[in-house]
Amino acid sequence: MENKRNSQTIAEYIKNWSRKHSLFIMAYGTGCGAIEIPATLTSRYDAERLGIRGAATPRQADVLLITGYLATKTLKRVIRVYEQMQDPKYVIAFGSCTINGGMYYDSYNTINVLEKYIPVDVYINGCMPRPEAVIAGFQQLQDKIARGEADNGTRYKENLEWYRANQHRVIKNWRMPDYNW
Amino acid sequence: MEGIGLKILGALLTTIMAFAVGMTYGGITRKLTARVQNRVGPTIWQNFIDLVKLQSKKTNIYHGVMGHFAPMWIITAAMTVLMFIPVLHPNSTWYSTWFPNLTFHGDLIFLLYMMVFGSLGMALGAGQTGNPNSAIGVTRGLSQMVGFEIPFVLALVALMVQYKTTSIQDIMAIQDQSGVWMMFSNPFSFLAALFASLGMFRYSPFDIVGAPAELASGPVSEFGGKYLGVMMTGGSIFAFIKLTLYVDLFMGGAYSIPELLIKTFALYMVPVFYGWVSPRYRTEQAIRYFWGWPTALGILGVIIAVW
Amino acid sequence: MNTLALIILIFFSGATLAYLSSLISNKLPGWVALLTTMTGTVLFYMSFQNEQALSFSIIGLNLEWALDNYTILFAHIIFGLGILASLYSVQYMQNKSQQGSFYANFLLSIGSMFGIIISKDFISFFIFWEIMTWSSFLIVVWNGIGFRKNGIWYMAMSAIGAYAMLTAIVLINSEIGTYSLQAFFNAVQENAIDNLMLVSILLLIGFAVKAALMPLHIWAPRAYSNTPASYTSVFSGALSKMGVFGMGLVLIRVFRFSGLQDNFDYALVSQFTSHVLAWLGGITAAIATLYALVQKDAKKLLAYSSIAQLGYIVIGLAIGTKLAVMSALFLAIMHAVFKGALFMAVGAVERQVGTTDMTKISGLIRRMPWTFFVTLVSIIALAGVPPLSGFVGKWMLYEALITNGNFFLVVVVFFSSTAAFLYSYRILFGLFLGQEEDDTAHVKEAPATMVIPMVILALFLIVTGTYPGIVFEPIAHGMEYLGFTDVTWNMTVLSNVWGDSVNLQYVSTTIGVAFMLALIFLTFKGRKGTRGVSTKDISTSGEIPLEHENLTFQLDFFKPFERAAAPLYKRSITKIYEDVANGLEALFDFTRKIYTGNGQTYAIYVVAFLVTLLIVVQNML
Ligand code: SF4
Repeated sequence: MENKRNSQTIAEYIKNWSRKHSLFIMAYGTGCGAIEIPATLTSRYDAERLGIRGAATPRQADVLLITGYLATKTLKRVIRVYEQMQDPKYVIAFGSCTINGGMYYDSYNTINVLEKYIPVDVYINGCMPRPEAVIAGFQQLQDKIARGEADNGTRYKENLEWYRANQHRVIKNWRMPDYNW
Repeated sequence: MEGIGLKILGALLTTIMAFAVGMTYGGITRKLTARVQNRVGPTIWQNFIDLVKLQSKKTNIYHGVMGHFAPMWIITAAMTVLMFIPVLHPNSTWYSTWFPNLTFHGDLIFLLYMMVFGSLGMALGAGQTGNPNSAIGVTRGLSQMVGFEIPFVLALVALMVQYKTTSIQDIMAIQDQSGVWMMFSNPFSFLAALFASLGMFRYSPFDIVGAPAELASGPVSEFGGKYLGVMMTGGSIFAFIKLTLYVDLFMGGAYSIPELLIKTFALYMVPVFYGWVSPRYRTEQAIRYFWGWPTALGILGVIIAVW
Repeated sequence: MNTLALIILIFFSGATLAYLSSLISNKLPGWVALLTTMTGTVLFYMSFQNEQALSFSIIGLNLEWALDNYTILFAHIIFGLGILASLYSVQYMQNKSQQGSFYANFLLSIGSMFGIIISKDFISFFIFWEIMTWSSFLIVVWNGIGFRKNGIWYMAMSAIGAYAMLTAIVLINSEIGTYSLQAFFNAVQENAIDNLMLVSILLLIGFAVKAALMPLHIWAPRAYSNTPASYTSVFSGALSKMGVFGMGLVLIRVFRFSGLQDNFDYALVSQFTSHVLAWLGGITAAIATLYALVQKDAKKLLAYSSIAQLGYIVIGLAIGTKLAVMSALFLAIMHAVFKGALFMAVGAVERQVGTTDMTKISGLIRRMPWTFFVTLVSIIALAGVPPLSGFVGKWMLYEALITNGNFFLVVVVFFSSTAAFLYSYRILFGLFLGQEEDDTAHVKEAPATMVIPMVILALFLIVTGTYPGIVFEPIAHGMEYLGFTDVTWNMTVLSNVWGDSVNLQYVSTTIGVAFMLALIFLTFKGRKGTRGVSTKDISTSGEIPLEHENLTFQLDFFKPFERAAAPLYKRSITKIYEDVANGLEALFDFTRKIYTGNGQTYAIYVVAFLVTLLIVVQNML
């Protein structure tokens, strides 16, 4: 038992179990990948059987989906949405564009490595990943949550300065409210 | 003192039951919807899991006093109405032992107004967030309420006039004596009330308040975590309350829990079924819908009742 | 000296003093007015338990003044609201000009209202009625703007009412030869008045104008929204109740307890009139509510809502059963309280922010928390949501209508009180909720002398929500004066004739306990992770609203509802009246042609008129 719960207390175990089975996703439909999300959620692949369902606003959401390349303009909004989500929160990044820039690696207005701006829990590679891959990615996230290792929010808070510096570097007209913890 | 202890226990039991039933019905609906759409769907306990997750969120935000109070108003209204509604038939043994609560101290008109209490709190909380979507959702909800309240009140007036009482227990007792449920003795009123229930449960085509597509879930769009969780709890209790009220008024009440469950579930499926095959109305269409045939049926019901 | 005369004298001399003191300093009249109302109120409350009567005669007319239980009921409203309003007024009017004439009229109208209710003869009744009309009219046009738009309707409607009333009084005098009210009631009992119905209807028209009943209501929204808030609370709270006062006398004492119910014709007509009035009240409530919810100005909104609320009261009086009258009088008192508080709250906003236009204000809750609290409580009472006292009145009204068999009227009332939620939310949201405006960042809470009267009214609403018996007691006495026998009431339990009841103590206890539990749970659970954020921090698809951008939803607030209810908005009474006025103008134009300026023609006119008159009189006799 000790091993399975990964030295969590029982309360923590129950909490993580419920978090794992109830993921409200905030699908930020950037890039090409937005088109794969409906396929994942609807009848063919039915993500709801894993407890995954859409949330309308960041306040209710647990998972932020970044579905492809991010223009710097969009990045600003993504950061905003990410910061409005409440702990514990998770980020799943789709496609090679979020990993290393993909086919947009030398574009003048997209960012290359998402990890530099917000912490990412799970990358799903492919260009574009199929719904099977997306669901596999979700399962990986669920395992991570169950083990109690998904600490996206804390990572961001702890390394806030580093993230902020990176963000400032690409976003020229920085006009964001202070993030009051 | 023993009496009071028993009463508190009964009240607690009622609340827990209402909560569990409301949540499970929601879960069953999700499962059934999934099956209709040829999906596997979540488990029927999914709503409980969601609730635990919402309550175990580590951080929460509120937009001011009313935002903080709104979920409390909802749950307060839900619990209060629950205390004043006869969950089971007054003649049944379970009722007198476990669920008498405070039913002898309120009547139908009181319940009608008490139910609004929660919506008012919700509206205030949503208003204070400053999110335009919330306010739009609230105005839609209020407008829709003016819509469905007309046939609903017509049905209730027919009921009260027919039986010359405004107390729910008396209406149940009279149905018991005559052996005919209200839904058969005055079918038009029942139909009017049934149409009104479509608006009350806010499944399509009347899901104009939440409207996830354009309003980003409307009034609750700024609520998350524990606040959303408490709202969900209140909403589930309210679903149970509305169903129980309908069962009490139109189906002669229930003598035992299983009977209550069967009757409420059958009623609950009406708006759910209707929702599966309907797209969404615009607000004014929804209001007009209620002021059309349902109101005509309601008036017919009153005329019949007076005769 | 007799206290009644003394109180009247105090108010009238106070009015003069207030005007004179304004010649010394513009600050003085407010204090004079406060002092006057205080003296008057204290005098009244010291002596109202004792039997009091006074009769004297001037130029051969016997005037009688007396206190009775029905009078005392309304005196509570007048003095209670009057003293709070004059306390509120001191700071509210602080920077306004022409305070002398304002306060003189303020005191005159309070004094004359008291005069109306203590009058036991038609002469002093009518004189006080006119003083009240004129003083309130002068306040409506007090700042000199919008006379044509606002004042003229009030004057025209009041004139119609006054003429109707005067005709009735003359008719009564010609029948019974005296102006005494008691003699009139006695004559009614003995069926000694031939055209009693005509008299009653004329009197009802006179009262209906003040109670802003459809279709005589059109002056009200303009007049209410154009007066300074400290007077509007008296205007809408107490002055409109004078119409209710008179209607109660006619509808209950004359119609219901005249002892003529076995006279078939009479019973038919009186019941018909009552029914028409009840429906007029219902339609007034519904239409005024519909108009209230499209208003953009908070004061206008409240004005329409006042009309709607008075509609409920008229319904209760017209139905005339014990429960109905009780609910009507209860609603009358509660309307005075919550509408008084609401007008004060809106006045506070007006003073602090400078406007009451809801499209320009938003998010004042943090700036004016007390005002918000008062508005919230009053609005909950207005909407009739338990556990506040508005619910008590609404409940009794519904039960009275249902048990009396007015099934469709009850649906109309239900419709209008559900639609009332819409404007209730409109005013709360419009003024206090939504995103905070940059322009209003400097706004502070109103001064204490303004907040205290409001809070007192709000507390009264809260207490009477659980213990309405406090108010039932004077009402029951008043109803006994009107002719009801053994009026029963209970401190906390409401019940109807079918024996169904609501126990308010259980209600408020349950609500209290449930709310406390929820409060403790939500406040202490995860307290460390919970933080408040500003209203700019909202999820707008990642877009960030800038400092000066206000995203609050204020324009076309209930557009979908308006669209759905479009046919109901089409007809406007004002339009009809204006058409009539235009028609009259054309008529006068025509008349001008008759006045040729030739003496001969006039002589012919005079003869023709006299002949016609003779014929008419002959026929009538
Ligand atoms: S990874 Fe491929 S599919 Fe995804 S956004 Fe980049 S280019 Fe498009």
